[in-house]
Amino acid sequence: MGEAGRIEFRGIHKSFGRQVVLRGVDLTVHEGETLVLLGPSGTGKSVLIKHAIGLLRPDAGDVFVDGVSIVRATPEELLAVRRRVGYVFQNAALFDSMTVLENLWLALDDDRNLRSVESCRDEAAELLEKVNLDRTVLDKYPAELSGGMRKRVGIARAIASRPKYLLYDEPTTGLDPVNAENIDRLIMELRRELGVTSIVVTHDLESAFQVGDRIALLYEGRIHACGTPDAILANDDPVVRKFVRRGRIDAVVA
Amino acid sequence: MIRRAASLPLIAHVRAFLEHAGRATLLAGAVLRALPRPRSYMKATIQQAYIMGVHSLPLVLFMAMLGGAVTSQQTGAQFAGALPIWVVGSVVAKSVITELAPVLTGLVLVGRIGARIAAEIGTMRVTEQLDALYAMGRDPVRFLVVPRVLGGFLVFPALVVLANLAGMFAGWLLGILTVDGLTTADFLYGARYYFEPFDVWYSVIKGTAFGGAITFLACYIGLEGQGGAEGVGRTTTMATVVTTVAIMIVDVAVVPLLKLF
Repeated sequence: MGEAGRIEFRGIHKSFGRQVVLRGVDLTVHEGETLVLLGPSGTGKSVLIKHAIGLLRPDAGDVFVDGVSIVRATPEELLAVRRRVGYVFQNAALFDSMTVLENLWLALDDDRNLRSVESCRDEAAELLEKVNLDRTVLDKYPAELSGGMRKRVGIARAIASRPKYLLYDEPTTGLDPVNAENIDRLIMELRRELGVTSIVVTHDLESAFQVGDRIALLYEGRIHACGTPDAILANDDPVVRKFVRRGRIDAVVA
Repeated sequence: MIRRAASLPLIAHVRAFLEHAGRATLLAGAVLRALPRPRSYMKATIQQAYIMGVHSLPLVLFMAMLGGAVTSQQTGAQFAGALPIWVVGSVVAKSVITELAPVLTGLVLVGRIGARIAAEIGTMRVTEQLDALYAMGRDPVRFLVVPRVLGGFLVFPALVVLANLAGMFAGWLLGILTVDGLTTADFLYGARYYFEPFDVWYSVIKGTAFGGAITFLACYIGLEGQGGAEGVGRTTTMATVVTTVAIMIVDVAVVPLLKLF
């Protein structure tokens, strides 16, 4: 059994057809910490965190979130876990046929509650304030927003259910350095304000060292190294060295 | 060996078909389970019905009118001199109501509604919007599938009834304008002579079945979609092909009803 307050991946194996992506990942994220999951593109970082809310099922192994086994969870238990976990998608995954307000309403409301969209306007504006956007954005459609703003709305939507855990999938990918830094700052602020336990998936080294309490390097389907930023910097393993020195993890693949 | 190699793809196809049939059945079960709480999908259903109905109406009416117009002129040209002229009215009424209006409407809606639903849900799949729904604890079946399928059940029969009227009207108009000697009285006499009230029910039953088949299959194919923009293209094509074949199969399958009543 996993412990409350933690996210624990135990021996996760995952293949898609003949392509083996994860070959036994063991990783524990402790209560209140921000763990950065680094790795070259295509190593299965996003695949791994999708297991934490049951978007993917492992071929072998299990994930425990707050002590609940995701593999053995009943639909009700899984729903309860999902309400406790905020997930920030790589390209925000906002519903493009809906305004920002309606997107946030979907997260604030649930199937049982059935509140009107307008009754959520003030709460939605408060959420936007937390991610440094003003309420004029509420009536816009995702296509009318810049990439950075969309990511912020995606974060606002993820924190709407007051989650205990936040999973960020490539939060700074595709952003200019200024916007990327703003998102990093936002991740740190949210951690302070909400006291959340987070996993940040990235291949942006600068971002990783800025926001991470610990950094885990996913390489060839396993956790190759895991430790504090200082420990990772001091690690003399050739893969870690190559990656840290080159400044871009994609260099490891090349 | 050769026999074995040749049989493998067939086995793979059968297996894939059975897998799809199984997953589609599970989806149908999920739709049924979502029905008892109408408040959670009613508004979206009405919205979908409106989009499907109002936006498709002009094209549906136009196609039905063409169908009716062709039938009256063809009948006039082929049967002139061989059969009484009022037969034009009978043929138009029978063929428009029992076959042309429902099937043409079905085919129009395959393109207008089936392809749109599959592309929309397929895009949501590849842009992680479906994952986002799951992540927020929302059920995509209740949120996306139920309103579309119910909307289809509501709107298709209504569209078919209107298509019947439009087809009859165009058949009458082109008949009296182009078929020598045909009068309105002849046309109406012929139309009533072989008319059975069940014909209209038959037409509505077909419309309802087409509505369910097109929307449900398009939702299923959209949910199963994979891989980028190309994937969405494949999904849309697949939905168009599968729903076209499905409505023709339904069309054949309901024929025995005519003999029963």
